[in-house]
Amino acid sequence: MSDVKNCYGLPAQDGLIMPRATLLLLTLLLPASFVAAAEADAPLTFEKHIRPIFKEKCFHCHGEDEEIRGSLDLRLRRFLVQGGYSGAAIVPGNSQESYLLQRMRDGEMPPPEAGQPVPKEQLDLIARWIDAGAPTERPEPEKLAPGMLITEEDRNFWSFQPVRRPEVPVVKQQDLVENPVDAFILRKLEANGLSFSPPADRRTLIRRAYFDLVGLPPSPEDVERFEQDDSPEAWSQLIDRLLDSPRYGERWGQHWLDVAGYTDSEGVTNADTERKWAWKYRDYVIRSFNANKPFDQFVREQLAGDEMVQPPYKNLSPEDIEKLTATGFLRTAPDGTASKAVEAGVARNQVIGDTVEIVTSSLLGMTVKCAQCHEHRYDPIPQADYYRIRAIFEPALDWKKWRTPSQRLISLYTDADRQQAAALEQEAKEVLAERSKKQSEFIEKVFQEELAKVPETEREAAKNARETPAKKRTAEQKKLLRKYPSLNVSAGSLYLYDRKAADELKAMAEKAAEIRAKKPKEEFIRALTEVPGGIPETFLFDRGDFEQPKESVEPAGLTILEEVTGDAAIPKDNPDLPTTGRRLEYARYLTSGKHPLVARVFVNRVWMHHFGQGLVPTAGDFGRLGTPPTHPKLLDWLAAEFVRSGWDVKQLHRLLMKSATYQQALRTESAHQEIDPDNNLYGGARLKRLEAEVLRDAILAVSGKINDKPFGPPIPVMADRVGQWVIGIENLNAGRPGPVIPMHGKEFRRSIYVQVRRSRPLAVLDTFDRPKMEPNCEQRTSSTVATQSLMLMNGKFVLSQSLHMADRLVAEVGDDSAAQVRRAWNLVFSRKPTPSELEDAQAFLTAQTEDLKARAGKKDDPARQALASLCQVLFSSNEFLYVD
Amino acid sequence: MGGRMHSHESGNAVAGPGVGPSKTSASSFEASQEGRNTIILKWNEFEFLMQYFDSDITRSSRRHFLASNAMGLGGVALAWLLKQDGALAETGPPELEPQVFDTLPKQPHHEPRAKAMISLWMQGGPSHHDMFDPKPLLKKYDGKPFPGEIKYDNAAQASSKVLASPWKFSPRGECGMELSELVPHLGEVADDITLIRSMHTGVNNHGQSIRALNTGRILAGRPTLGSWLVYGLGSETQSLPAYLALVDPGQLPVLGVENWSNGWLPAIFQGTVVRPKEPRILNLDAPAHLQGAPQKRALDLLRRINERHLDQRPGQLDLQARIASYELAARMQSAAKVALDISQESKAVHELYGINEPATRDFGTRCLIARRLVERGVRFVQVFTQNQFWDHHGAIISKLPSACKKVDKPSAALVKDLKSRGLLDSTIVHWGGEMGRLPVIQNDAGRAKVGRDHNTYGFSMWVAGGGFKRGCVHGATDEFGHHAAEGKVSHSDYHATVLHLFGIDHAELTYKRNTQELTLTDGQDCRVVTELLET
Repeated sequence: MSDVKNCYGLPAQDGLIMPRATLLLLTLLLPASFVAAAEADAPLTFEKHIRPIFKEKCFHCHGEDEEIRGSLDLRLRRFLVQGGYSGAAIVPGNSQESYLLQRMRDGEMPPPEAGQPVPKEQLDLIARWIDAGAPTERPEPEKLAPGMLITEEDRNFWSFQPVRRPEVPVVKQQDLVENPVDAFILRKLEANGLSFSPPADRRTLIRRAYFDLVGLPPSPEDVERFEQDDSPEAWSQLIDRLLDSPRYGERWGQHWLDVAGYTDSEGVTNADTERKWAWKYRDYVIRSFNANKPFDQFVREQLAGDEMVQPPYKNLSPEDIEKLTATGFLRTAPDGTASKAVEAGVARNQVIGDTVEIVTSSLLGMTVKCAQCHEHRYDPIPQADYYRIRAIFEPALDWKKWRTPSQRLISLYTDADRQQAAALEQEAKEVLAERSKKQSEFIEKVFQEELAKVPETEREAAKNARETPAKKRTAEQKKLLRKYPSLNVSAGSLYLYDRKAADELKAMAEKAAEIRAKKPKEEFIRALTEVPGGIPETFLFDRGDFEQPKESVEPAGLTILEEVTGDAAIPKDNPDLPTTGRRLEYARYLTSGKHPLVARVFVNRVWMHHFGQGLVPTAGDFGRLGTPPTHPKLLDWLAAEFVRSGWDVKQLHRLLMKSATYQQALRTESAHQEIDPDNNLYGGARLKRLEAEVLRDAILAVSGKINDKPFGPPIPVMADRVGQWVIGIENLNAGRPGPVIPMHGKEFRRSIYVQVRRSRPLAVLDTFDRPKMEPNCEQRTSSTVATQSLMLMNGKFVLSQSLHMADRLVAEVGDDSAAQVRRAWNLVFSRKPTPSELEDAQAFLTAQTEDLKARAGKKDDPARQALASLCQVLFSSNEFLYVD
Repeated sequence: MGGRMHSHESGNAVAGPGVGPSKTSASSFEASQEGRNTIILKWNEFEFLMQYFDSDITRSSRRHFLASNAMGLGGVALAWLLKQDGALAETGPPELEPQVFDTLPKQPHHEPRAKAMISLWMQGGPSHHDMFDPKPLLKKYDGKPFPGEIKYDNAAQASSKVLASPWKFSPRGECGMELSELVPHLGEVADDITLIRSMHTGVNNHGQSIRALNTGRILAGRPTLGSWLVYGLGSETQSLPAYLALVDPGQLPVLGVENWSNGWLPAIFQGTVVRPKEPRILNLDAPAHLQGAPQKRALDLLRRINERHLDQRPGQLDLQARIASYELAARMQSAAKVALDISQESKAVHELYGINEPATRDFGTRCLIARRLVERGVRFVQVFTQNQFWDHHGAIISKLPSACKKVDKPSAALVKDLKSRGLLDSTIVHWGGEMGRLPVIQNDAGRAKVGRDHNTYGFSMWVAGGGFKRGCVHGATDEFGHHAAEGKVSHSDYHATVLHLFGIDHAELTYKRNTQELTLTDGQDCRVVTELLET
């Protein structure tokens, strides 16, 4: 089913996950890092310099596929010399005579329909290598198994090496070192003739800490307290206080929900069905961060929480519920399998593919999904590896025995709940039966009364006509009933004859409804569990096409890592468990502490969120197309330290934030900018724009309207009268928006609690780069576009919050404009205005008020509108939008 | 939700979602000219931003800026600039490329006839029997039972009594197109339009038929024609939204905001509403009380605050870009303001559109705004009549003439005006609703109260310009005007034909969402109706 033509080997399903920034970095950095050889003077060798080119451009037909085209295999140097049907591919020492190079230079290879030509620099590189006698790094293997060859170079790749805790370096300016992080950073700065920027001031630090840890600005009182606290412990106490705040989990939970691809809808179909219970997983994530759940446990629960609970998942304890809820991680992929719009096989395999992608990209930081249709082009991931990983999930995601999203829901009803509900239902039914009986009696009574009014000659016939079922009535009978319409007494018309009787029936119906309302509310969890009744076999799909299964494969982790992790095979079935235990075993394997990627990838993400860029700038790609770490030793030291600490996430925050590196001021020295324009050496802080949710939440916090109620079902999103997606309860009449339904402050809840419906991206968040989940997002981008400015200038959300803030200012400091400006600056910027700023703002208020007075309507309050206008300017300012 | 380009090739990594390179060599020259314009256009925008930057910024920081900021302004410019910097490899790694969506102009599949479209959307179902499709036989049967099967929508009020049109038809223009006295102004442009008398959607209610004609299918959730056009072709202007919906000051049409929905296409392809009151365009216009001097004063203060902030953070390109983006936003704001300001038009133009007459003032104003928008490079404009404006289930004899009075003159004026400005050749004008009406009476409660029920099996609409024939009548209904009988045109035929005139092959304009390759015509049996097209 895969569209091979489009895909040129890659899976035809959604593209690779690769955030924009990553891609750009790739585009920018790759030419240099990719052909690392070109710049080095070291002799060219096949393994290091030539093979990667062939692997990208040629192996698909000449080596890794079953059929070797033209009988030419390019995987070893000696095969090149040996050649294929057309003779030797290369003549070592003579590039002119090398047929392969001629075909490539002529643009015949790779064939134009199969891909882009090999660029000239690379062709020249191949020529130089041939002319140098086509050397290899080492003797080539005697035998070569078919398919992907994992080479020495592959195994030596940095991210596949075991995490070794390096020695903390000694630096010249040892006095600047607060903790080991600084030693690693400073060492590289010093090597480049640089040092740290000066420490940031208190006001900058507290803003940075607040936005980083809780995603909200500090209150002016918080700032003042911190500025006046001279104790050496002030900083560390502040960090602890923020880590203890329930707001912390809301901030860091969102980071995890990004990589998990969390949404509140299924996607795929036009209807984009809501996921009514997904929010329980969102709350699980927030609670886990707040509780500082060790990250290894967090991963194990999300991958295999269900396998830690005894089926059949009934009468669940709170612990069981938590574990099952955690598997919501594996239920975030778009899922169109309940609809008939997409063919079942396609839809189901897509869910499996997306789930594998989410797991591998979030935890391994590898583009494993590229191996779905063929051997990975760049990383040593054979296609079979992809299906081995798929096999880990197949007992729960069995496309032959599929469960639609609603079939996977687990009810939280206990037996007691069920009994209670059944008893109440019985009670209600009794009331209704009684009502039904009464109703018949009433109708019969009325009918007899009405019948008595019919002339006696027709009475019997009329009675018969009514007793005859409507469809069987003769024309005569119908006519008779039309003649005496009042005989047509029914349940619906009874009230017209006997109001008292109708009221009595109504009261009984209400009583039944009341009884039913007493039933315990049934809630559900959106979980992943195995489908009982036999373990499915997993096949490698030729070209990723599920209709072309080839050999069967057994569950396992990545082959390339086996040297480091030990055997990556996962037992097919654990006899000690009621389930196969595959995911549980895989989760343990990943969190054993030996896996070289899991800890590195996670600490890198935490670093990225604190410092604005990862030590590996491509947080979602630790493979060969990713950017290598700027500080490999620091990355390893952090990963080792993280595992040693018991995967303690809050401890990791403390470690990073207490470093001098983190506490630096923004870089301003020109030396830094000249030598290290992109701040890869961390010789100063990096400016960070507020993320979409943080911006919205910060505005709400400053305006004073924020509602910090945590958890629960999402706040709905609807179309406003022009079709923008805004917060609100949908109220349509013939498709047109009806009156606005009041939300009583729910509209001011934090953004993490707003519904993430794929087809309804909330305008204010969408504009500021909230990611689309396709299927997840490993790294956000931050754009600067005019639509953002327009939204801040004219958007309803900002305008209304500016008015709220104006009201807050008046309530807090009264009508004095100087006091208002001071308070506004403190609320928005965490500082006092300078005298010139104060003067400027006051003059603005005066002039703006005058102008607005001239155009004011009866209901307008020009002074309030002018103050709101000032607040809006502050919300739109760079000092608010960016954190130093 | 596809959203990501999936190609191993880097050659067109930044081509965006467009319909791709031209297929014939003849048109590929045209296309590359177009492509060059694109880059120039975007370069202007960049120059605009770049003037705020220090001239001596290093290449690397410039790249950093581009990488972190430029994407939202469009991939083409970015790629071009990076090429200038020598930063983009000639060929590179596989494109693990996220698809970049923008509204920059894209190359169509073949040479286009049309560049823009104005759709006058007549929601409710204008009665073709009384306006466009004379049926002499109805006279013979007037008041008598209809001698065949009728597909009623409202059985309760149904009657089988034929209702002959009370209005006279006469041949108009040199082509002799038969039109009724209800649309005298349309008669004046008969030689410029193509009247299709054989439309058909076959679903008997408003919502479903609106969706069929607007989105290709009767189900909710799909993108509209305008969204597809902008997705496929982008827009000739970046200062105005590419797709605008001009709604009636009364009620929204049935289905409300669905009428300009981007469905599952990215949100930048949604239609933007021009509201009947201030702020005319949400987010683009300031609220009434802040327009003009107060907003300017606020932006001036913002600029001073931002510059002081920047002074303390030298070299921070992101901050400079943000300052510049406010200037850009203000420029877009004033462009929209000018586009909507019809006071800049002459008295003669106002008269042509009937802006001075109460009956035609509103619709005429919106038709004129539509022309001003298209003139400025907007790709698709839809002008809506209010909710069920044409849904004459009763009192058709009095209500239909007043409905016609509101739209006839302005609609004809639009055609005349576009023609006189040389814009009609490249601008499609569409006039029509989601259905026509039945030849029989609904609500047989006296002459003053009679109406006609829905009919989606055969109805009329007209199109003009952009490569449609002039002075042409296409297709026919049966002798009672109930079913399309000759040259039947379905909603999908219509879509395929419109896309064709824009240079797009309807089956090739696809959007990838999960596993599906989706199109406007969605695999339905349809064709480009070449009989409608000028050769």
